[in-house]
Amino acid sequence: MRRPVNRLRTGSALVALLALTTACGLAAEKPADQATSTEPIVIGMSLPLSGPVADRAKPGMEGYQYWVDELNAAGGLLGRKVELKVLDDSFDQQTAISDYTRLISQDKVDLLLGTFSSDLNIAVAPVAERYKYVYVQPSGGADEIFARDFKYLFFAQPATTQKLPDRFVDLIAGLPADQRPKSLALVQLDDPNTTQAAKLFGERLGALGVKTVYNKTYAPDTSNFDTIANAIKQAKPDLVINGSIAGDGISLIRSFQKVSFSPKQFYQLNTPTDPSFAKSIGASSTEGIFTYLAWSPEAKYPSNAGFVAGYTKQFKAAPSEDAANSYTAGQVLATAVKAVGKLDQTAIADWLHKNTVETVVGPLNWDATGRPQGDMLLGQFQNGKLQIVSPKSAATSADVLFVKPGWSGS
Amino acid sequence: MTLLVQTVILGLLVGGVYALMSSGFSLVFGVMRIINLAHGAMIVLAAFLSWWVWDRTGIDPLLVGVIITPVMYVVGRVLYRLVIARVHRIDHELAMVASFGVAIAAGGVMALIWGTEVRSATPSYFNTSFQLGSVVIPQAQLYAFAGALAILGALYGLLRGTFLGRAIRACSENRDSAALVGIEVERTMAQMFAIGAATTGFGGAALSVIYQFVPDSHYVWIGRILCVVILGGLGSLLGAALGAAILGLGEALTSSYVDTRWATAVPYILIIVILLVRPQGLLGGKLRADGARA
Repeated sequence: MRRPVNRLRTGSALVALLALTTACGLAAEKPADQATSTEPIVIGMSLPLSGPVADRAKPGMEGYQYWVDELNAAGGLLGRKVELKVLDDSFDQQTAISDYTRLISQDKVDLLLGTFSSDLNIAVAPVAERYKYVYVQPSGGADEIFARDFKYLFFAQPATTQKLPDRFVDLIAGLPADQRPKSLALVQLDDPNTTQAAKLFGERLGALGVKTVYNKTYAPDTSNFDTIANAIKQAKPDLVINGSIAGDGISLIRSFQKVSFSPKQFYQLNTPTDPSFAKSIGASSTEGIFTYLAWSPEAKYPSNAGFVAGYTKQFKAAPSEDAANSYTAGQVLATAVKAVGKLDQTAIADWLHKNTVETVVGPLNWDATGRPQGDMLLGQFQNGKLQIVSPKSAATSADVLFVKPGWSGS
Repeated sequence: MTLLVQTVILGLLVGGVYALMSSGFSLVFGVMRIINLAHGAMIVLAAFLSWWVWDRTGIDPLLVGVIITPVMYVVGRVLYRLVIARVHRIDHELAMVASFGVAIAAGGVMALIWGTEVRSATPSYFNTSFQLGSVVIPQAQLYAFAGALAILGALYGLLRGTFLGRAIRACSENRDSAALVGIEVERTMAQMFAIGAATTGFGGAALSVIYQFVPDSHYVWIGRILCVVILGGLGSLLGAALGAAILGLGEALTSSYVDTRWATAVPYILIIVILLVRPQGLLGGKLRADGARA
């Protein structure tokens, strides 16, 4: 009976050896500058194509794909074709770290583009920084990612999580005191972006006299939301803010419906901007739900209409916000490379720190830590469609629903 | 008080779903000593089939679950013949590794066929509940609970009341003796494995209505199934039901009263505790075969 134990030990030894070998691979030297080469420019990335956020990563991947196809059709970058090398990290930090390390040290890619979620980017950004590779990330707005003063990191959305609550809090602050929600429930997935947003919402709404009666964080692999929904129902909040990432937001809404609870106001992060959101919970159940947007298909920025039309044609579906974010990241990188005229990471980073890039989310510029200097939009579902309700300059609907109707069918 | 009552009810209903998912696994694990790590993948496959038929035809997904039960039986039979039986002859533990390989491959194939988008069947009752005073009972969970009772009852009846059941138990106690008295060991084992797989038909259908799922969801489910079976004890269907109830309640109470973040750690905490305190599980006794081997 001792044999299986020995076999296990041999197995562990092999795994350890494998880990060591990989670690040695890290020390491999950087590629020589290939500015004169006619070979394609290879851009490496690792995305959570499988695992819990796979549904969000797919349009994200397609946004990159559309960007590179468009770029190649227009002659590529620096006169060379561009190729994407995409790995799958299954939404696992360690895999993402080793993927990007491999892309840099082993595959010797020419450029990098970022992955999705704060959770992955917080782990990957230091890898790019260590190897001095420009790292433009399409998502991941948690402030702690940028608090490390990285020089090669840039965020391709208008603002970080720090500014996420602004528009909604301003909206509530603009209401007469007796019409403001009295109590607040915060329920969020364990991710640097959502937990930071929840903390900010709690503090800033608290300053307006809104009392937090429930505040819980759930693990990414949570599947039973009924008990969470029930506990929130028993806490009787007026306003619920759900820091969701993907399908977890849908699950929570379904559970609210099951336990017959409909909050007066409901604000949800990330999930509602997925194009399948209305289909997943039923168009009539979306009425009155608030969310933030980094991008809008209707925005009048120069490249936006072309992106929406071209993407829709290529993938037979309208682009999601994730698709727009990865397209933006591509725009940022390509603009800088063209301006610099060579694949010099430090020169590209320096250029981005000094200049503004026109993108589908508007003109982007960054501070020394890679934080963008713009603002998010506030959206709300009205008559089955996601409308922008703030700021006034970008609004597609003049009305705001302050009391959400009950869920349909419950 | 409402919070407690409601939490207990929700926990028990989730326990029913867990019992439904783990009954077939428990049977195969307990009787054949095969740890079939592809069981979770079979549940997700059944969930995809139920969702797919519902999406195309509008037939109630739980009804589809009943219809695809024979399909899953065949899947189990093929899996046993092609993979499990071959490696099982060489080494018991090898069947576990092989089935894990099957699970990984199945996840990939399902992603190729149905994509990685989150799926869920939404018949009229998927988000509705029965109201009992201030307490609600989600409909879909209740149906799954009833399905779990029916399947556990049927399996119990099969093991105790039929010749096949007696043959299966004979094979599990001592293969050589079973062969001596005229039982076809290989056929009986294949039959048993396929019956275990058939239970995933309804289990998968319930999954497709109650939860959202992706091809990789099987990792989550196999973790919970292992917990239920280890908790309940090897080869004990009643133990599996008890283990499922404890896990469902444990998760619900942890989520409501301790921290939602800890809810997904409950299965693993329970596994560690039971292995330290009572390694054979709550209702698991030592089989005679264990004595013979020792």
